[in-house]
Amino acid sequence: MSKISEIEGAGHEGPTLNVAPSPHVSDITFTTKRMMTDVLIALVPLVAMSVFVFRGYAVKQLVVCVVACLASEALFVSMRGRKITLTDCSAAVTGIILALSLPGTAPWYVGALASFVAMGIGKIIFGGLGMNIFNPAMVGRAFVMIAFASLMGAGAYENPAGVVDAISQATPLNAFKGSGVATSVFDLFFGFTNGSIGETSALAALIGGIFLCVRRTASWEIPVGVLSCVAVLAGLADLSAGAGGYVLLHHLFGGALLFGAFFIATDPVTSPLTPRGKFIFGAGVGALVMIIRLFSGYPEGVMFAILLMNAVTPLINRWTIPHPMGDA
Amino acid sequence: MADQPTATERFLQGILPENPVYRQLLGLCPTLAVTNGMQPAITMACSVAFVLICANVVISLLRNLLKPHLRIVIFTLTIATFVTIADRVLAAYLYQMSKTLGPYIPLIIVNCLIICRCEVCASKQSPFIAASDALGQSLGFGLALVSIAAVRELLGTGGLFGYQLLPAAWPDWVIMVLPPGAFITLGLLLGLVNWYSARKSGGSI
Amino acid sequence: MNAIQRTNLGQAWLVLLLALLFGMSLAGVQAALGPKIEENKLKETLEKVPVVILGQQAADELNAKGETLVITPNTVAVEKGPVTKYYTLYKADFKDGTLAGWVVKTKGQGYADKIELLVGMDADAAKVTGLFILDQKETPGLGNKIVEDAWRAQYSNKETTTPFKVVKLATGGVNEIDAISGATISSKAVTKFVNQAVSDLKPRVAQFKDSDGKGVQ
Repeated sequence: MSKISEIEGAGHEGPTLNVAPSPHVSDITFTTKRMMTDVLIALVPLVAMSVFVFRGYAVKQLVVCVVACLASEALFVSMRGRKITLTDCSAAVTGIILALSLPGTAPWYVGALASFVAMGIGKIIFGGLGMNIFNPAMVGRAFVMIAFASLMGAGAYENPAGVVDAISQATPLNAFKGSGVATSVFDLFFGFTNGSIGETSALAALIGGIFLCVRRTASWEIPVGVLSCVAVLAGLADLSAGAGGYVLLHHLFGGALLFGAFFIATDPVTSPLTPRGKFIFGAGVGALVMIIRLFSGYPEGVMFAILLMNAVTPLINRWTIPHPMGDA
Repeated sequence: MADQPTATERFLQGILPENPVYRQLLGLCPTLAVTNGMQPAITMACSVAFVLICANVVISLLRNLLKPHLRIVIFTLTIATFVTIADRVLAAYLYQMSKTLGPYIPLIIVNCLIICRCEVCASKQSPFIAASDALGQSLGFGLALVSIAAVRELLGTGGLFGYQLLPAAWPDWVIMVLPPGAFITLGLLLGLVNWYSARKSGGSI
Repeated sequence: MNAIQRTNLGQAWLVLLLALLFGMSLAGVQAALGPKIEENKLKETLEKVPVVILGQQAADELNAKGETLVITPNTVAVEKGPVTKYYTLYKADFKDGTLAGWVVKTKGQGYADKIELLVGMDADAAKVTGLFILDQKETPGLGNKIVEDAWRAQYSNKETTTPFKVVKLATGGVNEIDAISGATISSKAVTKFVNQAVSDLKPRVAQFKDSDGKGVQ
């Protein structure tokens, strides 16, 4: 302990030494800012699709959440007496992901409070970027989900008086779970359905997600883990219902699954370090999503699944990090 | 036993410097469970005060007869008696409140705050000092419960004691009256208290 | 002296003495307060019986006239395969002896915890007259709306010939209950308990009437 404080006291500012198993990253351009810029680029198809489908509703959520996230980050960081670090874009990414995970119908204060909680309780209270245990955007969303259950529940997505077509229907997962109404796979794939503003289009999530994986910003093991586990479990549900593949595709393309698998579960801070750990993490998320979708009162479970798996990430790390030779 | 505590000192120490919840982190079960409204919080604080004061005085009176290996049995016996009395009185005169608090009144028996004060103070001090210690600790406990309940009820229902205080447009933060709200509020208030006392003593966080 | 102190009794006399004293004082407290607590429990249910059968307005009028219903509690056992379910069935008579109606106390698992409720039926058990939630811990803001008058009123004055059915958007069908938005599970739970109580006790009510409410199990 004393050694560390001596170094700190001397104002020593060397590069942070990240202890991680091999392969070690040798590319020094691989910075937080580059990663966050990649994520922002990858989010473009989702944002475009959400604005196309939900128009004003999407614009409102995006503006509210991004502005509130940046403002809360600035506020909390300055409360800690640190330099304001908005330029690394991580607060903006959290804001956009949070906005995309909200229903278009939610009033402005839902997004604002979710951003405030995401930054304050989800991130800064643990020590800022890189220190948080849970994905900040999902912490914020979980908070408002429980706080304003009537505005965030499956029923709240429907607004028969909405000026946009999509918003006047039930969400596909809720319609399927509640009354057995099936939405066409075509609509689910392209995203002309109701839902959280960024989750509707499977195509947009796939384009952005594959870009992230190719750029190595997101680890491919996590989405592969999520999707293969969901595919297996949904396949079983499909077989038992005798639906001839429809239930399988519905679970894969419906709801926030692809958005969550590529953009939220892959958050490098809150997911395991090793490839094997990442796959286990992804499979766990997939299994929990399917358990919640099939057996609980909620139609969708991506948020809870990711938060629960975030909590066991340290355990997965301990389990999968290889020990040096000779170490007990 | 060079410096014997005085009654006034014990009383004042219990309220803020040795606050049971914010400084000693004792009695957290009721602190989390019944602070979703001002009324249950105050009822709980009063019940704990009654049990704590009675138990402290009785133990203090018996302090010369206590045997080291049997003292915990006697503490528990005494506390359980007064808790049962409190529980029955609430059920007879405040029936609805007794139903709201449910198992948390009988659970005062295992509230470590009380057994801690019996052990630390009452079994060594005269009844007068023990009583003022109990009074100070109860006030500190009540203060903590009321502060948490005020935040939770105000944000969660827009009012206090069931009276609407915030504008009607206030969206109730339902999470605050649910269990997660208890943890979040307690955590943030604890942080605030630590921050304040660190600043007062010249340190930093 | 040392010899006495080393015996078990010498060690534990204080514990025994205190246990005796405390036990006696608790017995005293129970003797003094027990009847009052029992009365509280009973009153909670009995106060609601006239409201559930007659409706708030008529019950208030009855109260204003200084009259009360004569309420007789009965325990009814309903055999359902291997299990026997026990209900408390209150028979309520007007002062002049005419039968006012019946109230069943029932409970079951809701979304968060047990829901305890009273279901009122008219004299022939042909209609459900009202519903009252005695105890619930459903989610504030969603499930706890089951206690609201407007929602409970959906059960009032409905024929018992068809079971109640929870629907998302009531279309005016027979005995349709509008689900509380976001709390379908709570709505369905309450409806299930009402349906169960009605179907279990409707046949029994007829028996009770014949035997004048006495001696039927």
